[in-house]
Amino acid sequence: MIDIRDVSKSYGSIKALQHADLHIEKGSCFGLVGPNGAGKSTLMKILVGILEEFGGTVEIGGKPVHQYRRDIKRQIGYVPQDICLEETLTARDNLLLFGQLYGLSGKGLNEQISEVLTLIGLEKREKSIVSTFSGGMKRRLNIGCALLHAPEIIILDEPTVGVDPQSRRAIFELIHELKAEGKTIVYSSHYMEEVEQLCDSIGFIDQGMVVEHGTMKEVFEKHRHSSIFIEGDQVTEEVLAPYGELMERENGYVITSIDPLATLQKVALALHSQALQPTRLELSQTKLEGIFFELTGTQLRDKG
Amino acid sequence: MNAITKLEFKKKIQDKGLWFWTFILPIVFIVGFISIFGGNTGADSEQLVVQIVPGYTVMFSFYIMISIVIAFIKDRDSGMTARIASTPLPTLQYFMGKWIPFILIVLIQIAVLFGFGVAVYDMPLGNAFALIMISVALAFVSTGCGMAMAVIAKTENMGIALTQVIALGGAMLGGLWMPVEFMPDIMQNIAQFLPHYWALQGYQTVILDGGNVLDVWASLLVLIAYGAVCIGIALSAYPRYLKLSKS
Repeated sequence: MIDIRDVSKSYGSIKALQHADLHIEKGSCFGLVGPNGAGKSTLMKILVGILEEFGGTVEIGGKPVHQYRRDIKRQIGYVPQDICLEETLTARDNLLLFGQLYGLSGKGLNEQISEVLTLIGLEKREKSIVSTFSGGMKRRLNIGCALLHAPEIIILDEPTVGVDPQSRRAIFELIHELKAEGKTIVYSSHYMEEVEQLCDSIGFIDQGMVVEHGTMKEVFEKHRHSSIFIEGDQVTEEVLAPYGELMERENGYVITSIDPLATLQKVALALHSQALQPTRLELSQTKLEGIFFELTGTQLRDKG
Repeated sequence: MNAITKLEFKKKIQDKGLWFWTFILPIVFIVGFISIFGGNTGADSEQLVVQIVPGYTVMFSFYIMISIVIAFIKDRDSGMTARIASTPLPTLQYFMGKWIPFILIVLIQIAVLFGFGVAVYDMPLGNAFALIMISVALAFVSTGCGMAMAVIAKTENMGIALTQVIALGGAMLGGLWMPVEFMPDIMQNIAQFLPHYWALQGYQTVILDGGNVLDVWASLLVLIAYGAVCIGIALSAYPRYLKLSKS
């Protein structure tokens, strides 16, 4: 459905994307993750046609975006990270505006608006001015504006930022419904548990490069390093260093190992022999967040 | 395009600041200056009215630039520009959709201020077609200038400051505050490079000298040329503006 081949984009001397290759299957929900400034937004801007100049090729539905830009834009519903609504208009008027921008009109547009209002749970607030809405309602309307023209591909850039748990749940349900309808979804988020829950394939971007991609199953199998978590005042890096790759996490340490049970035993014996008492010593399962840190590191990205 | 035009027009009608800059302040200035100069100088009242009403109309027509700058920078910083760029609406139609409401507002402004001049000061109007042509050309240049400023300015403050320079500087040098004949030779030469001067000359030729559209061809040509250059700048700077837009 979406083929990204050797895509590069620079802003002056800053390389936002470097030879990115990704394939997104029709009907899949693809999670796009990476630290701030990794190149996710640049890639999304290229996909939705905001950025027209870039190196490499992007094909959507077999059509190169360079040649079929307007046709492709009709197939895509874009939900930007920022809420792009006219605050002084009603919910219905906002939907009307975006419907018209996608070339819809008349009775068909009105029916589509009513359908979308029901889908996003705002049918009773259609005549309310948007500035009176809560953050969650605005987020849902922001999504609704991208669904009016019944796009085949929906691109969501951090759609749950700053929403309450109820609205987040409503957004998840909406995405599940879209998945059930066979829509292709590209979902960018910093919340790993969201990506893990919603997506069936994933791409990690760091410093403009795609550092890993595949189905969720493939990525988990490839990076399945069970780990041991150890916490305790007396437990130091020196004590644990001989037993595997060590990472500091929260108030303790994580040791990744290919044979976690044996390592757990060795660590327990070592602590016992030195009369050290851990407050926590446990086996932990691989989580997407762990893979994210493994691929992108734990260093802050806003330190320049 | 119609959707953008309607939206922008609706937003502008709700904008109280625009009403102030476009109608209230110019009327206050017109009344104030006609009262001051009419009372003390003994100037010919028709000449005074034909200097001040069109002069301040031209000057304040350039204040539309402030609204254009604010509208574009707000859209850029809120992500709306990028969001609209993700729709199939062609760039040129978006551009026209944003531009047309401002042209209409300037034309309404000119009609209101001239109407005020006629109703309160018995200002003659002259050839209607020539007057309309000058007004359309003035609206074209003032809004065109605003469109260029809107895509070039990095911040609202920068846009507003440059608008003040263009509106007030142009008014002072272009002979909108006092007839150019009263100005030194060098200033008179500078005036001829400014659209403000040509707009006022056009209006005065029609109103005072009873000129028709053929008599104001030079004014029309200069105004349209200035407007076309500004729109050319705005269109060529638009990709950069789009790059800066939040999304």
